[in-house]
Amino acid sequence: MTTKNISQNETANEQLEADLDNPERRTLLKRAAIGGGAVLAAGMGSYAAGKSSVQGVPDLSWPVVTDDFKSFPQRNTVLSYAISPQQMMRHPERNEQFGRLNKNNPNYNFQVQVPGYEFKPWDNSRPGFTQLDHALQHSSWFPPFSTELRLAGLGTPNSRFYSWDQSDVELEQYQFGSEKEASDAIRAAAKLYGAVRCGIARRDKRFDYDPIYDAGITTEMMNSLESQGVHKLRDYKQVAGAMQEAMKEFKVQDRELTWEHDFPFVPKSVIVLAVPMDYDNLATAPSRTSGATVGDGYTKMATLASSIAKFIKNLGFQAVACGNDLGSSVAYGIAAGLGEGGRNNQLLVPGYGPRVRICKVYTDFEFVEYDQAHTWGMTEFCKSCKKCGEACPSQAIDMSDDTHFYYDGEHSDQPGYAWGNHEGIKKFHTDAKKCFDYWLESDNDCGACAAACTFNEPDYWHHWFIMAINPYTPKFIHSLMAELHPAFGYGSTEDPAKVKKFWKTGEGMRVNETNRHAFGAVGKA
Amino acid sequence: MQLLQWFLMGIMFTLGSIGVAYLSTKVKMPWYGWSTVIIGSILVLFGIGWSGASFLEGVAQSGAMALMLMSMPGVLMVVLAYRYFATQIVSKS
Repeated sequence: MTTKNISQNETANEQLEADLDNPERRTLLKRAAIGGGAVLAAGMGSYAAGKSSVQGVPDLSWPVVTDDFKSFPQRNTVLSYAISPQQMMRHPERNEQFGRLNKNNPNYNFQVQVPGYEFKPWDNSRPGFTQLDHALQHSSWFPPFSTELRLAGLGTPNSRFYSWDQSDVELEQYQFGSEKEASDAIRAAAKLYGAVRCGIARRDKRFDYDPIYDAGITTEMMNSLESQGVHKLRDYKQVAGAMQEAMKEFKVQDRELTWEHDFPFVPKSVIVLAVPMDYDNLATAPSRTSGATVGDGYTKMATLASSIAKFIKNLGFQAVACGNDLGSSVAYGIAAGLGEGGRNNQLLVPGYGPRVRICKVYTDFEFVEYDQAHTWGMTEFCKSCKKCGEACPSQAIDMSDDTHFYYDGEHSDQPGYAWGNHEGIKKFHTDAKKCFDYWLESDNDCGACAAACTFNEPDYWHHWFIMAINPYTPKFIHSLMAELHPAFGYGSTEDPAKVKKFWKTGEGMRVNETNRHAFGAVGKA
Repeated sequence: MQLLQWFLMGIMFTLGSIGVAYLSTKVKMPWYGWSTVIIGSILVLFGIGWSGASFLEGVAQSGAMALMLMSMPGVLMVVLAYRYFATQIVSKS
């Protein structure tokens, strides 16, 4: 070491000692360390509390039901009624009553509108309804239309992906080391096949459709109607005539199926799976554009649920996959701890809100760690927030200030009006007839309530922050948060700017440096 | 991009901590004055963090609202606390 270097080191040491002796600098360093450390510790504590909060709290009180609450017959779901020509003949009063009370048209008919649903011509002057949007929507429904999923989506049981056939169940049953190991394996498979949430509930007969209903419509019949151009007819007398001919030709006969005699086994567990819908696409609702994530969701539901059912069967247990059929997806979703029931009657999943589609797998496998219902204060929030109801173009959503047991919306005083409502459980009760009527009228899957929902948020920390503090905020803050949601630029519907934004989301897809902005996320890559 | 945002927020937090500590060696304030300054600083940082995430998700309106409703009141809190409660520490040397 040279003399010069030694001299430099000594100078530096002297300077350091002088600094340390300087009481002002010592105080500065001490205060910065203690103050910053304290705030950092408080921040990390808050982060841990937030992480814990978004796990939810077990809700042992759910479900709150009346003494006579029981299974809902599937034939009374609005979709089952609307696709069934035989129910049309059996219950003409339902069409008549709805038309008379809501459409000023006693000749109103759900069934004759179904063949032409989503086949009206495009309008290139209307954002969200142009040929581009039409092309996207119809391409999303191409797989369901090709594989019987269209009928399954309307509730038809035992279709190709959702087959009840158990002939391929392995004879040897795999033995898991523990219930947790079994549940983890099912969840891992679900994640692999595209689920963003997976929960396992005990089978609860009250949430199963009973009896199960098959309207008897077949893909061949629907294809035949399309090949005759019936879907393009706007004269409903002609449609009715064509439908009658098709019913004769295809010998359409509806039937009811029971769990005891027709279902292949006694289910013990229901695996509930959620697949995401794309944030930017759904934000365009109600439009043909947003119909694309709905159609795509039906395909993803089918591939996911059928793969999990096959996985269970390969382990030596019986399993049947289903989408909208067999049971209430929302009730099972709550029972499996995936989310809470919203004002719009959809399952609100933390981090997604209602922006998911749910499918289920019924199985006799019961060596699993069951999930239970949880609360995140979302239903409570819905009591103050009515954004979905305000956005609903058909005023179908329950605007009551609290959950209740029976449908009490418009026309609830009319005898038999609530035939489509599963009553006797404490929740919000929508008028699904009005909702579906709007679908038929607007020629798309709507989705405005989901797009407007305050819990429909992309995956960014500030939305999780709101989710975490929600259970601890009082009612008046909920109202404030609900009002601030649109003020912050979220939740608008019928917004041409959202359509424009969606069509830009493909930018950056060549590299996509984060892997984050994939399906279901938001924004440009 | 969000990870980069967290990194930048960490730098801002560190600089902010040193800044407040430096201020504490230069001025005297009652406890409520310091509380206002610290809460104001956290609000400023929170608003910037919210705003950053909002711009990343492509909802600029949310970012602007966060700056207006969180960061701006934060700045006001710091400035007003300094203006009304701070007194200079006179060096003895």
